Amino acid sequence: MTDISTRSADGGAGGAALSLRKLAPVVFLAPAILMLAVYLLYPLVDSFRLSLLDWNGLGSNAQFVGLDNWKKLLSDTLFWEAAWNNILLAVFSVLIQMPIAVILAVVLDNAGKGSRILKILYFLPLLMSSVALGVLFKYFYDVNFGPLNALLDYVGLGYLAQDWLGDTRFALGAVIAVICWQYIPFYMVLFMAGLASFPAEISEAAKLDGASEATIFWKMKLPHLKGTIRTAAVLSVIGALRYFDLIYVMTGGGPEGSSELMATYMYRNVFSSFQLGYGSTVASGMFIVVILIASVLLRFSKRYETEV
Amino acid sequence: MNFVSKLSALACGVAMVAAVPFAAHAADKTITEWDLQTTAGAVKVIRDAADRFEKANPGYKVEDTHILNDAYKTKIKIAFGANEPPCVFSSWGGGPLREYVKADQVVDLTPYLDKDPAFKDRFLPASFGASTIDGKIYALPAENTAIAVVFYNKDLFAKYKVTPPKTWDELLNVIEVFKKNGIAPFALANKNKWTGSMFYGYLVDRIGGPEAFANAAQRKNGGSFADPVFVEAGKRLQELVKAGAFQKGYNGLDYDVGGSRRLLYTEKAAMELMGTWEASTIGNENPDFAKKLGFFQFPSVPGGKGDPNALLGTLGDNYISVSKACLEPDKAVELLKTLTDDTAAAGRLADNRIMPLKAIKTDNPFLTEVYSLVAKAPSVQLWWDQELTPKLGELHKDTSQALFGLSKTPEQVATEFEAAAKAELK
Repeated sequence: MTDISTRSADGGAGGAALSLRKLAPVVFLAPAILMLAVYLLYPLVDSFRLSLLDWNGLGSNAQFVGLDNWKKLLSDTLFWEAAWNNILLAVFSVLIQMPIAVILAVVLDNAGKGSRILKILYFLPLLMSSVALGVLFKYFYDVNFGPLNALLDYVGLGYLAQDWLGDTRFALGAVIAVICWQYIPFYMVLFMAGLASFPAEISEAAKLDGASEATIFWKMKLPHLKGTIRTAAVLSVIGALRYFDLIYVMTGGGPEGSSELMATYMYRNVFSSFQLGYGSTVASGMFIVVILIASVLLRFSKRYETEV
Repeated sequence: MNFVSKLSALACGVAMVAAVPFAAHAADKTITEWDLQTTAGAVKVIRDAADRFEKANPGYKVEDTHILNDAYKTKIKIAFGANEPPCVFSSWGGGPLREYVKADQVVDLTPYLDKDPAFKDRFLPASFGASTIDGKIYALPAENTAIAVVFYNKDLFAKYKVTPPKTWDELLNVIEVFKKNGIAPFALANKNKWTGSMFYGYLVDRIGGPEAFANAAQRKNGGSFADPVFVEAGKRLQELVKAGAFQKGYNGLDYDVGGSRRLLYTEKAAMELMGTWEASTIGNENPDFAKKLGFFQFPSVPGGKGDPNALLGTLGDNYISVSKACLEPDKAVELLKTLTDDTAAAGRLADNRIMPLKAIKTDNPFLTEVYSLVAKAPSVQLWWDQELTPKLGELHKDTSQALFGLSKTPEQVATEFEAAAKAELK
């Protein structure tokens, strides 16, 4: 109290009003900054601190080991295999989700009012809890009782039936397919919003000039969506790099680590192996990997933004 | 000034509201208890014991919380990490309990038990094995006796004229018969990894006896996980895999959602190596099938040093301990004793679970048979993933899954595991 009054005295006659004006943004921003600090900044910094410890996470027997955990991380093939799986997930997420979402959005946009039920239907996967989805698809892929293999068998493609989740060659792909299925609706809605701002007059004018639907799509709608697609791709990549839930539910990172992601590897270290220190190193390493890739991506998309 | 006074009035109000529950707490002292018993029968046994404790100790209240298995493992760890553990908590003994003890979080029960030998001597001596660390007892065996046995479908065995195998060759023969008839010999849900670990654990025991694992795990008598016993066990395991002993997709099936049991129910598989809790699970899920269910012990291996009566499993299933953070350790130990007294034991028996006590009488033929196996077993090896330190336990589960997947050779696994054990156990 005294602090403020002396300062306003320094400021002269208009000082009180001025300091209030200065104070207002601080007061209004304080809750947001506080939340960010407590839930984002503090855990981030603290997990870096924890990454320097050899600690099982219980009690006070932590030992400071300097950069030992980080050295271990650099030569930990399991971590880098997990990171590679994250990259595969990111690449396939973008390659599969973006085109399908664009196609769905354009088709639904063209269909007009008649497509309302379809819009709701296509949106459903996104509304389901990942855990429920995971359990559902575990049954779907079941090698002995699952409908997928039964269907393949029924249409005479029985030789394609696989042990989808139990085979190291297929487990990651099988889960990626479900992840795409879950997230395509999200990007579809994003693109539909993008298309909503596409002026109808322009496409009508183009039609009058004899442009086909395909031309309108390739030459007009797709360029119009470019910015949205870029944003969506960045979102998709970042989401893929931090991914956890469906993998955890459906394969637990297995079999034999073939579908392990950085986040599931971190979870196993902290909660199954009782290595809070090393688990935090994995978490921080993951943070660095995500930040690096995300900033490269943002840099690229920025450059495009100025060029186009 | 006005603002400040409003603020302080508000603060006073908040403080008053906050003060009310504290005042209520002061009257009754609360002892918190966490466990992972979630079936109605098991919860009732615990609540009944808590009621008895509250009656005998006026002024104390027991707050019992029952949490699902996997959620429990995460939650208890966070609670200890945050220095707010419950007074009484459950574990499986072995490696994870050792982590808590190492962190100086668990009350040593030895002095309490020494004061009350009549109470302590009711337990089977072997049942304290998993909770004894450096000669001190840190937990009481509480819930059940669970051992791994091979469950089998009696109808299928009769139909194909095979009998429960006692030796390796007989087992291979049974496998061949079922394979020929389009039935998977074993149902195995090895996404969970501890399920397949049982095969490896038993093979090591049958080949090298209980000392092989004990010496290697405790780094004594020159024990090593690179010992030929472990390589041989890996080879036998892969021999089973190559003989087609397991149904398709064994490494991806999830035990928790009944992946393996569904194969048994539909008669697509004939046997399953599993803990004895499986009998009551099957009894609940599929009472008709339970009538066809029989079990036998894991067969012997030619040239093996191990006694075919030796068992893999746990005497106690869950072990209960008192945390050092508990403000009322003496009363909490009282509660532990109430939770494992004769009334609680009888309650568990009525719920088809056997506490590892010397005097157990039951007319349930299944429980009688399990109990007699335990009584004549020269040794009961705790599940490997529980006995080993958590880190090695994870590695063991990973490497045994790789053995099943044929992606690593027994030699590779033995070398890799020994290197990790050397680094971890020093």
